Amino acid sequence: MEENVIHIRNLTKKFGGFTAVDHISFDVRRGEIFGFLGANGAGKTTAMRILCGLSRPTEGEGTVAGYDICSEQEKIKRNIGYMSQKFSLYPDLTVRENIRLFGGIYGLSDKTIKEKTGKMLDMLGMQSERDQLAGALPLGWKQRLAFSIAMVHDPGIIFLDEPTGGVDPETRRRFWEMIYDAAERGVTVFVTTHYMDEAEYCGRVSVMVDGKIAAMDSPDRLKSSYNAENMDEVFRIIAGRAGREG
Amino acid sequence: MWKYLLEKEFKQFFRDPGLPKMALMFPVLMMLVFPFAVSMEIRNINLAVVDGSRCMESSRLIEKCISSGYFRLVEVCDSPDDAMRLMDDNDVDAIITIGPGFAADVAGGDGFPVGIKLNTVNGTRGSIGAQYLQACIRMYLQERNAGMDSGSGMAVSSVPVINVSEKYYFNPYLDYKLFMIPALIVIGITMITAFLPALNIVSEKETGTIEQINVTPVSKTAFIVCKMIPYWAIAFFVLTACLFIAWAVFGYTCRGNVLWLYFYTTLDIIVMAGLGLLISNYSSNAQQAMFVIWFFAVIFMLMSGIFTPIASMPDWAQAITYFNPMRYYADAMRSVYLKGADPFEIWYDAAGLAAIGIAMVSWAIASYRKSSD
Repeated sequence: MEENVIHIRNLTKKFGGFTAVDHISFDVRRGEIFGFLGANGAGKTTAMRILCGLSRPTEGEGTVAGYDICSEQEKIKRNIGYMSQKFSLYPDLTVRENIRLFGGIYGLSDKTIKEKTGKMLDMLGMQSERDQLAGALPLGWKQRLAFSIAMVHDPGIIFLDEPTGGVDPETRRRFWEMIYDAAERGVTVFVTTHYMDEAEYCGRVSVMVDGKIAAMDSPDRLKSSYNAENMDEVFRIIAGRAGREG
Repeated sequence: MWKYLLEKEFKQFFRDPGLPKMALMFPVLMMLVFPFAVSMEIRNINLAVVDGSRCMESSRLIEKCISSGYFRLVEVCDSPDDAMRLMDDNDVDAIITIGPGFAADVAGGDGFPVGIKLNTVNGTRGSIGAQYLQACIRMYLQERNAGMDSGSGMAVSSVPVINVSEKYYFNPYLDYKLFMIPALIVIGITMITAFLPALNIVSEKETGTIEQINVTPVSKTAFIVCKMIPYWAIAFFVLTACLFIAWAVFGYTCRGNVLWLYFYTTLDIIVMAGLGLLISNYSSNAQQAMFVIWFFAVIFMLMSGIFTPIASMPDWAQAITYFNPMRYYADAMRSVYLKGADPFEIWYDAAGLAAIGIAMVSWAIASYRKSSD
């Protein structure tokens, strides 16, 4: 049975007279990799912030991980992981201390944190860097570490906001391996990206234009319905109709 | 959850390249250097003398001025013009001009041909210098009259001799350092508990780490309180260290119960926590925060009565000081430290701090909630 872990209806966010997100509706199934595409300023980040419980919608309703996005934000936060485009671990704490901090914040016990830290460092191949300051790591490593830490409490859904910005193709490929691993374990992945080759890796993508969802389907079907060779072309056809400046 | 957040804050604090050293250096500097620097005593006033009479009497007068310790004789000039030139070049602060018939005039009681001129570009230095010079001249006259009385038995009635005796309470030697020590503690505590946490929160905004914390179940209260606890600890450390240094180096002790110093410091910390949070809510980067901090720091200090008495400010300025938490905190610290006041005598200080504290913290919490919507 397929179960929707994200269920959004008519979600709207207005800032004064400006409508950043305009009545969007969509569902995301458990274990799906859902790509959330759109030009800069299309409203992706605003929508994602609402889903993560960082901001309240002006209108509309929905649930994330079974909790209401308007009234149960604290419960949502317990059940999701979030990684932003900016490196957001503490650069003046070591790799191990960062893991410990976020583990502790999510209520894990000292013992569990210790076990997790060991496993995580093995998986990332960072055992020898465990006492290095996180700020001193190369960017690619930082992002993989940030991803693992966002997953420290085994959330059912993980939100990734342009997670691979500014890293080389090889690191991006390794990053996507981690995403696939997570999805195989049943974690739902909600990812925004600018890279259209990454959009091809997603199970389903939606393209936002001017605060609305202009298209939503699997990459293959989008390509055939827009008669395009790749996602890059699809994106340019759809986003080309944008009325507002990026 | 609190344990991990606190652990993080303390680790970050001690790992910071500057902060721990600053926390150690601050009390030392504040107690050993600043009391001398902020002294309002005027010393080393450069004096030029134009002595037209060049007699025994005139040299006794000059001697009297120099031996007071406040003046430094720069030059004995031949003409008033030479002396004025020195003042124009900023080489002298004061000129004393003694008329040609000085000895005869003084002895005869027909006036007193002495003029004094002061450079009042620095008004305080000028006016205090004038008072010192007048005092020296008065002392010279008194001694001279006394000498005449015993020497020749002849009283000089033209110069009335008035003896004014003064007794100073609480700070009998008018020691400016003693007066400034509680005030310097006040300034230090305010810096540490309001401005450092504000900058710390803003820097988390800048690096984006606050966003990562916001998506976790950590409550905002827990996050902010954990952020401030280390600074509160440092504030109490600084207070204790300052009191210790004041005792060990200058031999000053608190006249009142030391616990009241800690009590008022706690009240002030609450006010400052609110202020720090407010500043960080309304600033999105360190530059903005620094400017706001600078603005508040200057107003707090100048309108607190720490450097200039509030009673001598114009009414509208006095009205502003009622909204300045530092006014109450400084007054309380001075009252307890210098006079040994107990809180019932200075209840208004606690009331003022509490009122401002409640207003500030409620506003801070309201704006903090709103900013995250």
